[in-house]
Amino acid sequence: MGRGRGLLVLAIVAAMLVTASIAMPAGIDVRPGDFTLAGGLAMLQRTAVILSLLFVWLIAAVVVTLMSGREVRYSSVELRASALHCFALGLVAITSFVLTAIVFSYFPSVIGVPLLIALAVFAIVTKIYGAIAVFHALGTVVAGARSREALERRRWLRGDLAMVVIGVLLLGAIRLIPVVGAIVWALMSVFGVGTALATKFGRREPWFLAWRPAES
Amino acid sequence: MKDACQLYLEEPEAHAGHLAVCEHCRALFDTLGLQVDVQPPPAGALPLAPWEGASHRPWPLVAGGALLVLIVAVAVCVWAGVPPLRVVQSSFRAMTSARTTISSAAEALRQASTIWQIAFGLLFIAVNTALVVLLRRAPRGING
Repeated sequence: MGRGRGLLVLAIVAAMLVTASIAMPAGIDVRPGDFTLAGGLAMLQRTAVILSLLFVWLIAAVVVTLMSGREVRYSSVELRASALHCFALGLVAITSFVLTAIVFSYFPSVIGVPLLIALAVFAIVTKIYGAIAVFHALGTVVAGARSREALERRRWLRGDLAMVVIGVLLLGAIRLIPVVGAIVWALMSVFGVGTALATKFGRREPWFLAWRPAES
Repeated sequence: MKDACQLYLEEPEAHAGHLAVCEHCRALFDTLGLQVDVQPPPAGALPLAPWEGASHRPWPLVAGGALLVLIVAVAVCVWAGVPPLRVVQSSFRAMTSARTTISSAAEALRQASTIWQIAFGLLFIAVNTALVVLLRRAPRGING
């Protein structure tokens, strides 16, 4: 029993490492580089790219929160209520995306390419929405009001929009740390994909219909 | 039975204050096993709901945050000599790299032995079954 549990934990850790390496943004070298002038310049250029993408993330997060703030909030609440489930679902979903993409690539191009495009669009939408839900969850955990009095006293630090902005700025600051940032964002992607799918993009509807015999 | 008691029993909501002053009615309710002092808890005592204050839009914070990131990004881009096109290229490079990896994995699978192809098929079915099982669980979060 104890051995089986140990193997399960090892399997989860192995799956986590594999999936995190898949989810990690490409082009990020996690090895500490040499501290030469060229190395410093490369790091500066990488920081510039990260900051530019962070601005795009901030704008996307604000737009999505304005369009569907309630859905983002539902997903954020779900993430905070059952983080482990969201994490497990995210790991399995990303693994499934990769395996399904390999299967679609296996098909002839006429069938495989449209399916691959559809899968890529779905995966990107899931990741973006999930990341925004994670921004909201982090913002709420760090800067959310704990009581009604505190909420009423606040002028700016309240509301979905403020929580999302705080989350983007915090995770953006973490993203700038060379090795840790990439790992944290990879984990954030796993949590985000999990919470997006667990709540069906905040709609909290079942993915599958339950079969029931018709009543006569 | 007094008139006030009669009125209360006929329309308890219209004469809600009667129960506080009439021992006879309270004793009657106690005998019947009914809760007589059920009152909604004060709103201030309830925990803060996620939707409270959620629609507030602090534009100064949003504009300030966006402006801060934009200024820092532009400054670092200018300092490092990174053109805006490079940012777009880096995003596309990530996509191309993922596409190449998946294509090479599919090619390797095509050339693999039948046993490996069956093993991959079983793995594909197992992972997607696990996904379906996890997706069937209802969300647990409190209503926001």
